[in-house]
Amino acid sequence: MILIIGAQGSGKREYACQLGYKPEQMADAVLDERPVVYNAQQLLIEPYQPELLLPQLLSKQVVICNEVGSGVIPAERSQREWREACGRLSILLAQQAEQVIRMVCGIPLRIK
Amino acid sequence: MRVLLTGGSACGKSTYGEALAASLPQPRLYVATMRPYGEESLRRIARHRQMRAAKGFTTIERYTDIAGMPLPAGGTVLLECLCNLTANEMFEPEGAGADCVSEIMRGLHLLADSCDDLIVVTNDVGSDGGGYGRATMEYAAALAWLNNLVAAEFDHVLELCAGIPLALKGGLPCLG
Repeated sequence: MILIIGAQGSGKREYACQLGYKPEQMADAVLDERPVVYNAQQLLIEPYQPELLLPQLLSKQVVICNEVGSGVIPAERSQREWREACGRLSILLAQQAEQVIRMVCGIPLRIK
Repeated sequence: MRVLLTGGSACGKSTYGEALAASLPQPRLYVATMRPYGEESLRRIARHRQMRAAKGFTTIERYTDIAGMPLPAGGTVLLECLCNLTANEMFEPEGAGADCVSEIMRGLHLLADSCDDLIVVTNDVGSDGGGYGRATMEYAAALAWLNNLVAAEFDHVLELCAGIPLALKGGLPCLG
């Protein structure tokens, strides 16, 4: 599995296209038969348990997840917990990914 | 060696900082700056305590006035984190208020001079859309200013991203 992370609009899906995937092969926060899933952070719902998503996400060819942990810590508890869960999900995915690509300004940085 | 660790929420800063500190010489002092408020922070503190268990850390809870804390004689210090320390200094009655940046830097200098290796954890609070009230904007500005000052002085600056350390300055430190 290749993990592509980065901020909103940083070019994550465009990079997946460069890897040879077509838009119709990319599922928007849905776990189905398509080989690429994006907006993986939106798969986290309360109670946030990132480890439960792992088996299905690890069976994908590409997982795209937004980095949402920066900025002022949200005042609302559920928002804080969601951010933390997104971070943990990214860590768990990165540990098992063959490659981790971080997108910055459309530039892919291969960090693993 | 002086190391600054930055990154967003739950990016692996604590885990990496503790692993790095645990690979450096004893005695190991953990300076906890987060004042427990309610059940959520108690839970977080308990989790961090558990992560440090059996790694040989002595923990000191210090919410403000790093310059006034009992200083170590050598060894390794892990301070976590600059974000809470800055908030405490700015907003708590006993904090340094408007002088928080210079007071925190004075404390960090004393701490750095009294130990062999200092690791400081911070956060990137400026990377969002802004638009908060004045106090929060002043806090974010103070922390950003501190991050810049500390990064300019320290030997290594690392950003953690999905648990992966990325060297921003000085390369990756050798895990002893």
